[in-house]
Amino acid sequence: MPTALRQKFRDEASFEDVVAQHPEFPRLVALKIDVQRRGVHYSKRTLAAVDPAIHQIYTWEGINYPHSLLLRDGGTILVIPQPEERDPYVVDFIDGKFVLVDDGQIVEAVEIWPRPQYYDKKTSSGRLMRDIVSARPQRLDIFVTSFCHFFHVDDLGCKFCSLPYHHRQLRAENHLPTRLQATDVKECIVEALKEAGRFANIHITGGSVVKGEEVLDMEVDYYIALLQSIGEAFNAPRFPSQLLGTAFNERQLTRLREQTGVGSFTADIEVLNESLFNWICPGKAQWVGYQAWKDRLIRAVEIFGRGNVGTGIVGGVETASPHGFRTEYDALRSTLDEAEYLAQHGVTTVHTVWAPQKGSQFYHQKAPSLDYFIRLARGLQDLREKYGLSVDFDDFRRCGNHPDTDLARLQ
Amino acid sequence: MTVTLSPDVIALLNDPTTTKVLATVDAAGVPHAVVKHSLHLGNDGNIHYLELIESSSTNRNLVRSLWFDGTVAISLVGRDGRTVQIKGRPVKIHVTGPLFLEHYRQLRASDENADLAGVWVIEPDSVIDQDLATRRSAEAARHPHFIHLDRLARRDAVI
Repeated sequence: MPTALRQKFRDEASFEDVVAQHPEFPRLVALKIDVQRRGVHYSKRTLAAVDPAIHQIYTWEGINYPHSLLLRDGGTILVIPQPEERDPYVVDFIDGKFVLVDDGQIVEAVEIWPRPQYYDKKTSSGRLMRDIVSARPQRLDIFVTSFCHFFHVDDLGCKFCSLPYHHRQLRAENHLPTRLQATDVKECIVEALKEAGRFANIHITGGSVVKGEEVLDMEVDYYIALLQSIGEAFNAPRFPSQLLGTAFNERQLTRLREQTGVGSFTADIEVLNESLFNWICPGKAQWVGYQAWKDRLIRAVEIFGRGNVGTGIVGGVETASPHGFRTEYDALRSTLDEAEYLAQHGVTTVHTVWAPQKGSQFYHQKAPSLDYFIRLARGLQDLREKYGLSVDFDDFRRCGNHPDTDLARLQ
Repeated sequence: MTVTLSPDVIALLNDPTTTKVLATVDAAGVPHAVVKHSLHLGNDGNIHYLELIESSSTNRNLVRSLWFDGTVAISLVGRDGRTVQIKGRPVKIHVTGPLFLEHYRQLRASDENADLAGVWVIEPDSVIDQDLATRRSAEAARHPHFIHLDRLARRDAVI
């Protein structure tokens, strides 16, 4: 692609220039951020070299794509293909190795996630296990429902979110139910645990369900049933796991803690600014509210314990136009100030890298600079160190999608 | 610059009776040297080390070295007294995949309480023969001034 056309989309300092300004920030983590920010394009050689027998892949419009990438520091790059006009990194296959290429230069070797053995097996209901529980390098992922009340009922979905769009397509292609059955999930977990050393965490999440005697009771009931079923696979009352749900009230949180073996609780606030939250996450704002969301996170610390409660933000979305912060400086200062308030109360904040996705309302927006994300990652990790907060349940191994928690490897 | 380990150093590295010490440094430059019996030669010609404790100082220091191009030192002491020091760089950690899983299974078979955080790959930069006689010869050849005079004195000198 001609440089001039690329620069039309991205007129900014080069990767080398930016990392040179941050000599104490790991280059590999900066690269991970930049790859997530810009996305990837898989070369024909790469797609030909991908082996569905050993690599974890997904099939989209008849093409086998690598699920994601692994760096030599053990870090994960969760990234999806982006069109060439968005200036993505190229994943190429050269001299028998997968490599990241930028502007024609090889910048780093990468690996494709290994495929778990349970993927080809079926549950007793006849479903392929890979369609029920997916895998990261060290984590089992359970996306329990493609339904989100905010998105599907109220048309108040989060503006950056493309998950309902993608999951609807994937579930339709694979003839999956809207909501997973607990027995199917348990069978997958039992099978996956036979792969010794393969997994270190279970992540459970899904769309928000507001129904119930109290708002969100039905979502909680479902998670409890699911977690109890999963718990039968373990010979321990509690197992390393992360429930990423809506911000539940105290009674609901207590039920989750007391009636299941779940190890940690996360409720993503998405953006740390009340007016932006109201604009970007209108469903969450309507059904829970910004202040209540924060209050419930803080209450969760009393129930789950320090170091076991977190919230996620879509890093960079606070700069979305037209209502976002006008400068990256203001966005960073405001975000870290609010994250510090949560940290003071035992809630750790982690960020993903906002890369506007097809299927989201923000698809045509542009993510902030690499410099911004480096400062955001450093700032969030500095808060953990300042307040003695661990993030073991959501770190490079047990998640891999948060550059800031990669930095916790040195904490 | 990467060096290829000689057969005798490989034998020393892989000998289970060899005492193997891995020395790393933290962010403040504080050294951390610990006996690590799992150090061995990997199939790729590099030194491999099994990290059993994810939050250990060694693991943290190795991550830092990988991220910021730092070095580590490995001392090997054979049962015959042979001593070798290897300087190297952590270049990779396996946290999943066939190599990791193979070591995990072996480890668990020998110790039911064991866990594995990763298989570190250390690329050797240099090998120094720490045998005292060898070191003395090298010192005498390179630094003839570095000797106390009495060692050169004539025993039969007359006053």
